[in-house]
Amino acid sequence: MTSDRGRKPLTGWAFLAPYAIAVGLLIALPALLNVGYAFTDHTGLTRDPQFVGLSNVRRMFNDGFLLDSVRASAIHLALAVPLRLLAAVGLGLLLAAPRPGGRWFRAAVYLPTVVPDVALAVLFLWVLNPLYGPLNQLLGLFGHSGFTWLSDPDTARLGVALMLMFPIGEGFLVVLAARRMLDGRLYEAAALEGCGPFGQLRRITLPLLAPVLLLLAVRDTILTLQVNFVPAYILTDGRPANATLYLPVYIFDQAFEFSGFAYGALITTVLMVVTAIVITALLLVVRRWRVLR
Amino acid sequence: MRSEGAVALRFVGRFVVPALFAALFTAPLWFMVVGSLRPVGEPPPRTLELLPPDPTVAAYTRLPELIPLFRYLANSALVVAIAVPVTVLVASLTGFGLRLLSPAARRRAVLGLLAVLLVPVTAVWATRFELFRLAGVVDTYVPLLAPALLAGSPLLVLLYAWAFGGVPESQLGAARLEGAGWLTIWRRVALPQVRPATLAVAVLAFTLHWSNLIDPLLYLHSGDRYTYPLGLQFLRLLNPTDWPLLMAGCVVATAPCVVVFLLAQRILLNDDPLAALRSGGRR
Repeated sequence: MTSDRGRKPLTGWAFLAPYAIAVGLLIALPALLNVGYAFTDHTGLTRDPQFVGLSNVRRMFNDGFLLDSVRASAIHLALAVPLRLLAAVGLGLLLAAPRPGGRWFRAAVYLPTVVPDVALAVLFLWVLNPLYGPLNQLLGLFGHSGFTWLSDPDTARLGVALMLMFPIGEGFLVVLAARRMLDGRLYEAAALEGCGPFGQLRRITLPLLAPVLLLLAVRDTILTLQVNFVPAYILTDGRPANATLYLPVYIFDQAFEFSGFAYGALITTVLMVVTAIVITALLLVVRRWRVLR
Repeated sequence: MRSEGAVALRFVGRFVVPALFAALFTAPLWFMVVGSLRPVGEPPPRTLELLPPDPTVAAYTRLPELIPLFRYLANSALVVAIAVPVTVLVASLTGFGLRLLSPAARRRAVLGLLAVLLVPVTAVWATRFELFRLAGVVDTYVPLLAPALLAGSPLLVLLYAWAFGGVPESQLGAARLEGAGWLTIWRRVALPQVRPATLAVAVLAFTLHWSNLIDPLLYLHSGDRYTYPLGLQFLRLLNPTDWPLLMAGCVVATAPCVVVFLLAQRILLNDDPLAALRSGGRR
């Protein structure tokens, strides 16, 4: 009698199996291996790593570059995630309503997302060129003398964040679909009550979309920690003065350029812990909002 | 009087502001194309140029002379030809699996997925490389398929989950009563109803795999196996300041993605994307 009810969920899990196996082999296993390698002297070139206890940890505490790297990543997160979220959510809500040609406005916003990130980065090398780049020339039209962008630590960070404002298509798409799922009758009722567009946004749209927005914030935090590798690698390679030596760039250098595989594994473990802390903090903040409401 | 002002304001909100944002987001691509049409080797202009005065395709003819352009493109095409079907397969199986779960089980599955996704991909580079090295597949295309086995991006799984959400329970039950296995139902009943979703997922998978720079950078060492994004990076190292040439390289990298994206925008960016993902079958 339970066979029919019992078998169905089981089948669902069976369909999830290929994905789950891939996640286990390609994400979970390497993530766990990191913790093991972090306490060895493995260089990535030899075959038999030796256990060296806490020597990598000691090295980490005296590593000025790592400190720069953590600072660069933290500043980048604080700069890029809110900007990207604001752009994705703002444009998603602005363009969700049907209108003639609406799809083409949305296509224009999505377009930079399909540009390969290496092409976008090379393009931004050009856009941010102090002499010939279109951005400084655009500023010149307003009488501004422009910036040296990638050669100055502050503007270099801003330049990378600016570039990452463009590929926001995934979040944009999710907001479009989520906005579509909201009940139109709620808005009619609100309009009857004399609630204007901004009131509707604050009282209906944002509260109802809160779970989706939270999910996007979490996803974007993780994505920002990893997608800034290609732009930083192409645009600045960590320079100037380590301003864009984001953690992925530093890990890449250690693991693949400097034969510091074990040390890279340790920093990676730290990165995972930092990510977990950021996400937990985010969840706690949101929980507090809920309590206040 | 007042209503005229309101109409104007509404027009600005509905068309002018969106058009400004659309212009902002297409501007980088515009500069890419315009930059690629300038003469090779000449210093670029010091003022803003929205249209090139004498457009020339010299940069494009120069590309294959400097790098093995067609070999790189063929390599990329090969990788994409394998990776896209694998991505679509994994994403559709996973999406259908989520559809079959009870709501409570689905919530658990999604939570588990989220927990795993907390691990940034950068965090597993080094050790994943070690695993592939031990398996002896470094400098082959096998590691480049890793993202495909992970369905490319969670968004692709989500698209399929949304699309399969529209397959009525009664159809699944009827097919079961006729003795069909779940794999048959997935293939014969569910997939044909979500053809637009399959197209959309395939297009997004194409752009993801075509763009992949990190995996080729880590795993491919022989120059004749480079995929195009790696070739573009190589070109940049060769000619760091030849902007028309670099922009032409970028246009070549971008054009296939833009073309396939235009195929799918009708579905993905529809006024009602959820319905558009499912409406297929008999169109």
